[in-house]
Amino acid sequence: MALEQLSDVVQRCQAIKDESYSSQDYDLFLAAGRTCIEQGDSAQVLSILVDEKNKSIVRCMGWNLLGPLVQMLLKKEDKNLPHCHAILSHLLEVCSPKELLVGLLEQVEEADSASIAETLTLLLKPLQTVLLRLGMKKASSVGMALSTLLSQVARLPVPVTKEQEEDDVFGLCCCCTALLQFVKPFVEEIKEIVKDNNRISKDNELRVELLKFCMKSLSEPLLEVQLKDPDTLQKSPLRDFATEILMILSNIGESLPDLLSRNVLKRREVPGFLEEEVRYPKESLACMCHLLFVNHIAVDIFPAVLSSVFVLQCNMEYIELLLSRTEGSRLQKGLELYEKSLVRVEDNSLPVDLLELKTFFSVPQNLVKVLTLCPDQTLRTKGLKVFQLSIDKFSTEAKYKFFRGMLKTSHHAGVEGYIIKNIKNQIDFSLKPCNGNEWFLGKHLLPLLRLVLCLPHGPETDLLQNLDRIMESLNLLRYMLIRDKEWENETGIWTELYKIEDHYLKPMRTGLNMSKAHYEAELKSMKANKKITSKDSQASVCTLTVDNEKLPDMTPEMQIQVLQSALFTFDLIESVLARIEEIIEAKERPLS
Amino acid sequence: MMAADLVQAWTDEQLKTEEVPKKELIKFIQDNGAHSFLAEHKLLGNIKNVAKTAKKEQLIEAYNQLFESKRFKGTEVEVVTEEVQAVKIHDNPKEIKTELVDEGPPKFTKSILKKGDKTNFPKKGDTVSCWYSGTLEDGTVFDTNIPASAKKKKQSKPLSFKVGLGRVIRGWDEGVLTMSKGETARLEIESDWAYGRKGVPDSKIPPNAKLIFEVELVAID
Repeated sequence: MALEQLSDVVQRCQAIKDESYSSQDYDLFLAAGRTCIEQGDSAQVLSILVDEKNKSIVRCMGWNLLGPLVQMLLKKEDKNLPHCHAILSHLLEVCSPKELLVGLLEQVEEADSASIAETLTLLLKPLQTVLLRLGMKKASSVGMALSTLLSQVARLPVPVTKEQEEDDVFGLCCCCTALLQFVKPFVEEIKEIVKDNNRISKDNELRVELLKFCMKSLSEPLLEVQLKDPDTLQKSPLRDFATEILMILSNIGESLPDLLSRNVLKRREVPGFLEEEVRYPKESLACMCHLLFVNHIAVDIFPAVLSSVFVLQCNMEYIELLLSRTEGSRLQKGLELYEKSLVRVEDNSLPVDLLELKTFFSVPQNLVKVLTLCPDQTLRTKGLKVFQLSIDKFSTEAKYKFFRGMLKTSHHAGVEGYIIKNIKNQIDFSLKPCNGNEWFLGKHLLPLLRLVLCLPHGPETDLLQNLDRIMESLNLLRYMLIRDKEWENETGIWTELYKIEDHYLKPMRTGLNMSKAHYEAELKSMKANKKITSKDSQASVCTLTVDNEKLPDMTPEMQIQVLQSALFTFDLIESVLARIEEIIEAKERPLS
Repeated sequence: MMAADLVQAWTDEQLKTEEVPKKELIKFIQDNGAHSFLAEHKLLGNIKNVAKTAKKEQLIEAYNQLFESKRFKGTEVEVVTEEVQAVKIHDNPKEIKTELVDEGPPKFTKSILKKGDKTNFPKKGDTVSCWYSGTLEDGTVFDTNIPASAKKKKQSKPLSFKVGLGRVIRGWDEGVLTMSKGETARLEIESDWAYGRKGVPDSKIPPNAKLIFEVELVAID
């Protein structure tokens, strides 16, 4: 029935001159054609379409059949496949490339998540054929196609383990490989232009589209992908994809070292400045650097003459971006890039002027957020390792400035404690023969110590909350008083001591006594209340709700435990404080 | 305590003669005087420079004053000047030009393989373009930007960078500055001016590696 309708409309249209078919003709052709194909009459449809007499009709209307045709092809019913493929080939030859492009891309866009890989595998070659037919005018169409394709690929789940990459259940690896094949002739075209002219205009449209493609790929899927090294997975389509993207960048005239240093080198206001920003998204460049320096992708096309400090400086921009995100995968990559960049640099070598660059302060701040807030323990552990590594690379003066900055800005007792421990290590190092310097000895040390040996709220400072910081600073003071003999006073601590006693030790002693007394009193009354099982012990001061669930009140036993552990903590502080007071007592007072 | 123990090493007579040269006197005062004392008497800094500006009489006076006032090291609370600035966070990324301090003889050698025009030499900050290949002492080629075939060379670009700004290894920065346009040279760079004790981890460049480059300077902009 449909077949007759199709034959009818086609025959009628044969008589129409100048291809002035009515919209009704189009509709009838489409409806009948679609039904025939869906019914499995593809052989007959084919014979109608290839008939010379119908050439004009097919050229105008044929592309509308792409929808049902592609759906049939995806169904993969053996008996229809060869004819459907033949129809497709014919249409690709005969119909207008622009219209075919629209039809094919529509199919790509409408693919549901389960059939993305299959659709792409089916349509990439036809798309390529159509685009090549566009000749010199293809650039914007190539761009449109690449953008649509990548958007679909971005929806595919990324394999995590090597087994998942091998199995490629959702087809990401397969699509990436196919995309490389798809893009090949366009890249070759650019390479030819470069060869013939020895250069290529930065604004060459096709080049710009390929650049966009590379940048987008770096962002999705490559930023999400965790590449496996060749020892773990010998054949990796994803590694090949990453390598090829960097090769393409190089082949279309982008210098990888220039991309690396884009965000660091002084930019003059040039016309089209903003467009430059859009062409080189920072996130994509961050992925590129991770590929180069952590995964060692395409490292043989990257020059090995850049200075390690310069490489670090460039990478800091991208590390800052990655560490400012919250997704574990971004943080992991940020930490890896940071680590790999630092490891190239010698200990104690980074000069203090680097700290004037925004990133050399914002990255540690971001890192501290990871250390204190990130729920993933492996990330926190790695973060701490990288944090210490970064400190080790600073020169003595830079360490000094860094510690001062961190003490002033971190507002977190644990971080402050960690920095104070580092300060102690630096003082210890400086006191050794031949290591003397003016930063951790001499005139600069005292201002730093004043930041360490202080109680933010005087005697009312919450000792428990600031425990980490307090313990480290008391340990530091104790260490200095023992290590730096009074008559040598290399650190100047002995001349400063009376001030420290007034501003630090005395208020600490007061605060400690007050806190102990308070907690002891609480404990006593708790224990007393416990004996009397009265309603008073049931009434809680406040309730705590997490995620819409009210947490159970603390039992009296738990409350007692908390109070006792607080008292143990005070004993701990007390022991170091007492020791310090002892040491001071034992020495003669200095002349003042 | 040091103050009590310190005895005048020289008599007035000895001081006035050549027996006690200026520099020795300066050193004594610098070693034992408090920082503020030295500052007041303009005796801080490099001994050579102090010797140039201070007369012997002034130094003798300072020496005597030191013992009179007993302002020895460690006896007074040093007046510390807050020279260390508050932490500043700049919004604009700046480029850091690492100031290369004169540390002694150059750590690279150059032999000219092909003479340049001997007229055009790059200055610090100029953009230079180079073809190059780099090998280790054992001959391993670890990097090159020269493609295998001449045809491909037409398609490739030489390496471009701003010279003398610390963006490349020091041996290159210093070495290229001595080359003229068109020159091909062999640069043998000791590890200190290359990648030093660390080398480049996970690459062909091991720690403490001396690097040998053949560099052709094709353009200066």
